[in-house]
Amino acid sequence: MKKLLQRWFSPKPSLRPHQAARLAAWQALPAAPQPATVEHSRFVVVDVETTGLNLMTDTLISIGAVAVVNGRIALGDSFYVVLQQREISRKENILIHGISSSAQREGDDPAEALLAFLEYLGKSPLVAFHVTFDETMIRRALRQYLGLSFKHPWLDLAYVMPALYPTLAYSHRVLDDWIGRFNIRIEVRHNALADALATAQLLQVAHSRARAKDITDFAGLRDLERSQRWANGVS
Amino acid sequence: MSAIHPSELSFITRHAPFDRMELAHVMWMMERMFLGYYAEGEVIVTPEQGPVDRFLVIKQGVVHGEQNVAKASEADTWLELGEGECFPLGALLANRRVASVYRAGSDTFCYELPAAEFRELIGMSSAFRDFCTRRIANLLEHSKQVIQAQFSHSSVEQQSLASPLSAIIRREPVTCAPETSVRKVLGVMREQRIGSMVAVDMNSRPLGIMTLHDVLDRIAIPQFDLEQPVIKVMSTQLSSLPPQALAHEAALTMARHGFRHVLVVENERLVGLVSEKDLFALQRVGLRQIGSTIRHAETPEVLQQAAADIRRMAHNMMAQGVAPEQLTQFISTFNDLLTVRVVELELAASGLLGTPLHDRLCWMALGSEGRFEQTLNTDQDNAIIFETPPGMTPDQVREKLLPAARRINETLALCGFPLCKGEIMACNPKWCLSLEEWKRAFSAWIDGGSPESLLHASIFFDFRALYGTEHLAEELRQWLSQYARSNARFLRQMAANALRNRPPLGLVRDFVLNDENRLDLKLNGLAPFVDAARIFSLAAGVPQTGTLQRLRLSAPALHIPAAEVEAWINALLFIQLLRLRHHFEVSDRQGGEKAQPLDNLIDPGQLNELDRRILKEAFRQARKAQAKLALDYQL
Repeated sequence: MKKLLQRWFSPKPSLRPHQAARLAAWQALPAAPQPATVEHSRFVVVDVETTGLNLMTDTLISIGAVAVVNGRIALGDSFYVVLQQREISRKENILIHGISSSAQREGDDPAEALLAFLEYLGKSPLVAFHVTFDETMIRRALRQYLGLSFKHPWLDLAYVMPALYPTLAYSHRVLDDWIGRFNIRIEVRHNALADALATAQLLQVAHSRARAKDITDFAGLRDLERSQRWANGVS
Repeated sequence: MSAIHPSELSFITRHAPFDRMELAHVMWMMERMFLGYYAEGEVIVTPEQGPVDRFLVIKQGVVHGEQNVAKASEADTWLELGEGECFPLGALLANRRVASVYRAGSDTFCYELPAAEFRELIGMSSAFRDFCTRRIANLLEHSKQVIQAQFSHSSVEQQSLASPLSAIIRREPVTCAPETSVRKVLGVMREQRIGSMVAVDMNSRPLGIMTLHDVLDRIAIPQFDLEQPVIKVMSTQLSSLPPQALAHEAALTMARHGFRHVLVVENERLVGLVSEKDLFALQRVGLRQIGSTIRHAETPEVLQQAAADIRRMAHNMMAQGVAPEQLTQFISTFNDLLTVRVVELELAASGLLGTPLHDRLCWMALGSEGRFEQTLNTDQDNAIIFETPPGMTPDQVREKLLPAARRINETLALCGFPLCKGEIMACNPKWCLSLEEWKRAFSAWIDGGSPESLLHASIFFDFRALYGTEHLAEELRQWLSQYARSNARFLRQMAANALRNRPPLGLVRDFVLNDENRLDLKLNGLAPFVDAARIFSLAAGVPQTGTLQRLRLSAPALHIPAAEVEAWINALLFIQLLRLRHHFEVSDRQGGEKAQPLDNLIDPGQLNELDRRILKEAFRQARKAQAKLALDYQL
């Protein structure tokens, strides 16, 4: 508890001047043009690994991201970073994400890592499966290390997929269900980059399906997500 | 900044050729790759997209290659590619369109490398380069496919499927008012023998269509009341195109939607109807029809027209992927038919028909025509062999025959076979000879061995009968076979002469070119094979005149392994294919006018990488054939 309070009430992080300049430069970037069709836009699909599943107490270990540019995953336009940890995560968790304690200690300085992530991201919309988790973890880290209040458009495939495949909605809940359904092979699960890639492939499937329903842009996919959230709320 | 997950790398490096490539090159490639997704049934690469723009490796899923765009369906699958396989290599290397439609057979993810980077990688990684060129196990096969694809765009579609619909509409559309009874409409359809009826409103705007195919499903089986308005059974989902739209758009529309008819609509008004049948008719070339036109032609003008038809059809056949062997055979067959008819007509016009002379003469084809190797620009090479009727001298016979021969030569020239510059034509008194005179001429060449004799031998040895008393030609052949075979010195001279024409491969195995940086496909490419085959056939006593037959039939007697002969033949055919393509391209540029004589000169710099490689290989094969000659005659 003490740890939690410490983090919440810690003073605003002090960035070195060139870091502050990089952050300002990112903030000054123009927003992604709207509406942009999937064929003419860049999405960044992201996945994070953390010290655990508790949104309040666990912290960000790594970010993996791949860009979907004009509908295709650009393998060269991908990103992976491990954040240097102040405290090493519990042993049972290491078994899941596979980032050893030494690797955690050797990770990048969090502020630098997060700045690199922002610069990689630009103002492209973010996509994840179960956004709440990734978004919370990233937002908290950005506030903690960069003092940034991160407000960014997100798309949640956990809602988009069931909206596009209503008949699968009840049997397919977690990422593994969906990627299994579309035979998306993933060799190393629970690695942020590999998961991001699998999620990006799922976005391609979703996009292809949505196109058949004349949904071709981010806004359209967001509407799907919203209606599904609403449907989940009433059912 | 980029990050390639090790699992992606490990997937790629499990498959050829990436398993043999340097890791740095694989990484270089991966960083430039995209991952594309294709839902089941989705088209990945098609000829319509133009030259291939990317190299694909299947990450997961199945990809089917289908032979024909218009007929693409599951039944036409001819190629199935799985995980880790690369495509479309041949078209990429050749920088051309694909020959087939590649379609996702299941939900498929493909790694994709843009074409520019693919070429860079070829230059960078020798392992990758070797794979890409060797994977095309049969280079020739692939080149053929690619050429077919290229021609199917320039010819079949341009000449037929590229006509505007306005040119295809055959008649005014038959229409009815939407409230007309079904019974009445069916009556009209039967009466007018039409397969479909379109309902239009007062302003000729189409409202619905009914076809004979609908009668069963919509009327007969449901026992629909025939007094009801026809619009109730009509299909109101109409597909329409403007009259300026091209036939292939209509074909694609039909293929896409499974319709058999496309309405032609201008300013909302129905102006015509194009059916699937109309489009098929465009593609069907009437082989039988041209043949019969030639056989029954009464005037040289009709034959000129037929000659143009032959050329156009040859072009179409090239487009449809007919192999060069069959294609030249086809050209020879029809040229033979045409020549025979010209000879027949002109002999009749000269009053020779029914005279004793007519039954004692034989019109012979020489040179490439004699070898069944004619292309579009082949000069005439012909001669007459006759038997002197009792009471006449050969000179008296010539006096009667030569004027007719000249008319024949001139008419053939009008039909597109240029007069022979070397005067090797039947109208030349030197080549209108009796059987005895021919034997004397041949024995003079064989015994003489001067350069001129050898040149004549190479043209005249390839004679075959086209018209008239064939046994004269057969007798000459038999005599010649014996005589030449027993004359080893002559064969050796022929071989030495043939070896003077070396295929133009330089020291670094590149081409040696003439002053204008051109290669002569006929002289440098075909001639070495043709000359070698002639000598082989003389040595083995094979009477055939076709180069392929000569090679195949002489091989056993001369102990040439069958595989080697087939390699020579493939090489020969490839050169022939390039030559035909060159002729078609040149005559296309000339807009169908045959005023310009066609040459055999190509600039190898204009060839794509693949063709260049094959051509070099073909030249190496020619050298092998020459090596065999050198060995046999100790030269």
